[in-house]
Amino acid sequence: MNKLTFHYFHLMPWPYLPADFDEKYDSAWVTLPNSIYDPVKGYAQYNRYLDEIERADKLGWDSVIVNEHHQNAYGTMPSPNIMAAALTQRVKRAKIGIVGNALPLHDDPLRVAEEIAMLDVLSGGRIISGFVRGTGMEYFSYNIDPTLSRERMDEAHDLIIQAWTRPGPFAFEGEHYNYRYVNIWPRPIQQPPPIWLPGTASTETIDFAAKHKYPYMTVFMPMEQRKRAYDLYRRLAEEKYGYEAQPEQLAFCVPCYVAETDDIAMKEAERYILWLFNKGLKVRPQFFVPPGYMSERSLRGMLDSGSFGLKRTFKELIDVGEIIVGSVDTVIEKLSYYTDVLHASMLVTGGHVGEIPDYLVLKTQELMAKEVMPHFRDKAAGTPGDQPAKVSLS
Amino acid sequence: MTSDEVSGIAAPIEKVERTVNVRGIVTHMFEAGLPAAKPLLYLHDHGLGNVWLEYHQSLAQSFHVFAPDIPGYGLTERPNWMRDMSDYILYFRDLLDQLDLDKALVVGHSLGGWMAAELAVWYPERLEKLVLSNAIGIRVKGSPVADIFAMNPQEVLATCFDDFSAAMPLMPAAFNTDYLLSQYRQLTTLASLAWNPGYDPKLERRLERITCPTLIIWGQNDRLVPAVYGDAFHRLIANSELIKLEGTGHMPMFEKPAEWTRTIREFLLEQDS
Repeated sequence: MNKLTFHYFHLMPWPYLPADFDEKYDSAWVTLPNSIYDPVKGYAQYNRYLDEIERADKLGWDSVIVNEHHQNAYGTMPSPNIMAAALTQRVKRAKIGIVGNALPLHDDPLRVAEEIAMLDVLSGGRIISGFVRGTGMEYFSYNIDPTLSRERMDEAHDLIIQAWTRPGPFAFEGEHYNYRYVNIWPRPIQQPPPIWLPGTASTETIDFAAKHKYPYMTVFMPMEQRKRAYDLYRRLAEEKYGYEAQPEQLAFCVPCYVAETDDIAMKEAERYILWLFNKGLKVRPQFFVPPGYMSERSLRGMLDSGSFGLKRTFKELIDVGEIIVGSVDTVIEKLSYYTDVLHASMLVTGGHVGEIPDYLVLKTQELMAKEVMPHFRDKAAGTPGDQPAKVSLS
Repeated sequence: MTSDEVSGIAAPIEKVERTVNVRGIVTHMFEAGLPAAKPLLYLHDHGLGNVWLEYHQSLAQSFHVFAPDIPGYGLTERPNWMRDMSDYILYFRDLLDQLDLDKALVVGHSLGGWMAAELAVWYPERLEKLVLSNAIGIRVKGSPVADIFAMNPQEVLATCFDDFSAAMPLMPAAFNTDYLLSQYRQLTTLASLAWNPGYDPKLERRLERITCPTLIIWGQNDRLVPAVYGDAFHRLIANSELIKLEGTGHMPMFEKPAEWTRTIREFLLEQDS
């Protein structure tokens, strides 16, 4: 079995922030004026991003991944399902992940069930369906009551799984969502499409993922924090839910940059990766944790850890393992840590950050695909090229 | 009782701190005033539970003041099911029953003003008079209530107070995790009631049901709930008068306690014509 699978994650950021962004704006989210977005330039940008993702498919990534964010410069995919639909026509082999749809933001989660089912049929059963709650910022942008976030998440999840797998029509009787007729057309090919749960290491989400045996994906965070999250997942799986968690249930989303040498990688990557942390993720603290969005226990953990709002230098980001930057050998060594020590086997990385030029994206994609990936592939398991759509058109 | 006794010249009134069980909600409250004085239910603003300050004491010279911590604030916990205004309206009716008050003077500030107005709409027979100070609960298009959820604590203070020195009673003893969590817990209660919408869309039409004499009192410079809200409440409540206090904003009871309490006292003691 492969020791590691590779997943190409794209945020589709809007990197062209004004020169006075740092002084003038306290947030790249919610309130950053949308006059900064240029739709004509956006046309070229979207297509460049799609080209990049198409290359990842051809180079052998196991999946390509898009996600949902609203009213911000960090990620310009308010409807990830639209982007996934475009990808079904460009990405011919890899799975297509939407990681994820932000369920509590939507008053009508049946629509999410329908769209994922459409995508699964359209792609020949290649969809990975992530479910997220959305960031705190999104509760401001969509004016959704954050105190109901987790309840709506749990209930929308149940509705969608049932809509995919139970013969319709049937009634769904929830606290937040009620349908007399659940009977989606089309139904998905996969029964159900695989679910991933990304998270910031809150106990509640890890527990939910472990309970349902869903892969849990840690988002950007230091290695130590990931380790604690995976340990908790494994412990909950074993002690609370009675099974042994497998490496395939643990994913880590980490910005990676590979170049010829460590020095070159460091020099080339620094300003672009720092864009992600210093500009794209610049957020008013009040937007980040709206009231009721987190349990008091999780909030206390975050406050006591001192990590909240902590600004790290590029070198510190590397040292704590929040990003991986280096030569092929360095990157292999660090990824081996995940596979051997953390027993996690899904690397979620990509893609374009800041104003990185495309030739550097291409270089790191090729080095990753040709030099790094083979180290973690099981030759006997075949190449990713052997994973076609679940159904054929012939 | 003589007029001197009720005008505040009498000896200081001692406050009592106690709890009362309101259908399972253990409600912490302060109570003070002469037994024969008219009962006054004081409904505080967001974040102002479990305080007894100069303005409470001043009102207690003339009235029998009941100042409960609204569930979710101070020392009164909010059960998880209690998450919209209708739950609070029923709770306050039950509280009046529990306190054995057929009728009360009701004074509400901001969030507490919204609750007081709703109580007056649904149970008009339980109110003798109503005072709304810098109240939320309705919408005035084009003049939104400021977004307190987006503000840091310094911005909240700057929005609510003209005079920072008046905010001293609200300064935490320590700015630590416990304090931040208590703020978060209270904001969670506010979000349950007022994230979206931040008002009761039906209240505007229903305010005409308020029959008791009503005083609308506002700090002229209110930057959280602009004074046009006072105009709107005044227009919508038939038997109401409007008084705007100069040189203060959202917190007139902190910044102009003498003027604010004197105005309210005079209104509440006035004999119906």
